[in-house]
Amino acid sequence: MPSTTEGPLPLTLRPLATFAPPSSTRTWFSAPHPSVPLLATASSDKTVRVYSLATFALHSTVSGGHKRSVRACAWKPASSGETVIATGSFDASAGVWRRWEDGAAARKVREAEVDLTASGGDEDEDDWRFAVLLDGHESEIKSVAWSASGNLLATCSRDKTVWVWEELEDDNFETVAVLQDHDADVKCVAWHPQEDLLASASYDETIRLYREEIDDWTCVAVLAGHAATVWSIDFEGVEPRVHGKVVKAENEAEGSREKTWAEEWERAGPRLVSSSDDLTVRVWKRRPKEGGSVQPRGASVPSIIKSTNIEEEWMEEAQLPQRHDRAIYAAAWSESTGRVVSAGSDGKIVVYEERWRATGEPTNGPNGDKVEDAFSRCSQASATVWVVVAEVECAHDVYEINHVCWSRRWDKKRRREDEEMVISTGDDGEVKAWVLDGST
Amino acid sequence: MEPDNKQNANPTIINPSDLPSRRRASAVKRHGDGAAGLFDGLVPPYAYFNDPFDRSSRESSLDEDDVVEEIDEQEIYDLISTISDPEHPLSLGSLAVVNLPDIHIKPPASPRSSISTVVVEITPTITHCSLATVIGLGVRVRLEQALPPRFRVDVRIKEGTHSTGDAVNKQLGDKERVAAALENGTLVGVLRKMLSTCG
Repeated sequence: MPSTTEGPLPLTLRPLATFAPPSSTRTWFSAPHPSVPLLATASSDKTVRVYSLATFALHSTVSGGHKRSVRACAWKPASSGETVIATGSFDASAGVWRRWEDGAAARKVREAEVDLTASGGDEDEDDWRFAVLLDGHESEIKSVAWSASGNLLATCSRDKTVWVWEELEDDNFETVAVLQDHDADVKCVAWHPQEDLLASASYDETIRLYREEIDDWTCVAVLAGHAATVWSIDFEGVEPRVHGKVVKAENEAEGSREKTWAEEWERAGPRLVSSSDDLTVRVWKRRPKEGGSVQPRGASVPSIIKSTNIEEEWMEEAQLPQRHDRAIYAAAWSESTGRVVSAGSDGKIVVYEERWRATGEPTNGPNGDKVEDAFSRCSQASATVWVVVAEVECAHDVYEINHVCWSRRWDKKRRREDEEMVISTGDDGEVKAWVLDGST
Repeated sequence: MEPDNKQNANPTIINPSDLPSRRRASAVKRHGDGAAGLFDGLVPPYAYFNDPFDRSSRESSLDEDDVVEEIDEQEIYDLISTISDPEHPLSLGSLAVVNLPDIHIKPPASPRSSISTVVVEITPTITHCSLATVIGLGVRVRLEQALPPRFRVDVRIKEGTHSTGDAVNKQLGDKERVAAALENGTLVGVLRKMLSTCG
């Protein structure tokens, strides 16, 4: 365990607001919209509550489509003129909902002082249209996710399958894959931020990655290592950040470990973070392909590697300092700061940051001190170390936290345009926003 | 061989008067935090669960919010020993499915936390009992209903007493599976019957 976890932490998680009104029942999951100040919260009351991220007040409610708890929701990226949300429910169906993003409504949520009681008169503005019902799963849907381009939707279920749906035209979805690689419930799906690479996490303790190869989706990697259910997965942003700063190979000094690290990152691409019932949060890294198209350093390419081989090799790079003592239901990677946040059954929220490792400082590789041996093929794995920078206990009083994520801050009191906040979602039906105070 | 379809037609039964008990009328009060609907997500608000701590008594305990009541293993035992077995007209206590020495309360992991953990190990009457999961679910639901929310409830099969103990433990520990099970009408009916004998 790094010594930096001792003593006071450099940052403080300060409660900023509780979204109002809360749900009267368990809330499972919250998704901030990628471009407008809206937050969607999936609730066991069969609805999705849409809150304003500018005012922390209820904006609208998506209801009437699901017969059981809504377990997950996801905003479709890159949809203009309309906001589109997908929902996944314990009733085994997924829904796609649309709502006109008219100028008036969009302006309203951007203004900090929205009088919500006044918006009740205009029916159309709060009108979520149930566009399509995606049927096929045999049991509860646990997670839904849109690909970066927005034309593919992935869903996963207790029925052990992951489905990939393609939107051919408005409201016409086709099943392009039913992936049956997992041996048990699939808990979470996530897409790579740039590639059509899909990841899924399961009760069978593995993470699997899939790609399309000539019209056929296939499993291209199995990430084994967790010793219990993997509850969540999330990809890193498109640029790596160490100690909050973007790391680019071209900016680093020739021959420095930072340059080597950055070059390797650039060949491998965004990493993956996972959280589990085994009380660990782990970071996984793709092993750059020797026969890949990007070969900046002109290393010799073994001819036996077929170019058609789409299998990928992923390896565990680090285990974050262990701070949770019960199941970790969520871990999320911040695109804007590179920090990771985790939360779970113990009611704690923990924020971690990746730092350059000082000489002699212990690593947090999977085998502790033996990390150098375990990663002999991956020499730069221990150039960085993860430290805990903030932690709050009993963040939702005595209740469990089912989900945590990062969002851009939109309220009037934000200190910077790009300031971010943490959003936590709990068993108490509350969704809370937190900001980080202090500097590292 | 088992005309009545019961998996274990002749279980060992303990005389009720030999069971450890310290029942009081209001041994455990719920944390009256005003979130009356909270448990709706966990347990559907069916009146037939026959919860002794009804809403009115919960509300009347508002002024006791800050008092962390001491709850001991005996009280946990009293809450679950009266649950009925799903296939016998007998309680889990008299079938020795739940036993006082197999109940443990773990204090909060840190001084800043107020979350305690109750660990209950159950002993199925036979090692291949397919109802072990349902019994475990009944125990978990009963305790999550009756205990204040600051308790986490871990129900496990006592080691070596069931052929697929690890698999059952994993299911019982999976919050999402438990939540979904409680939205399943058939299963809720079975649980309702099991819990109807809890005074």
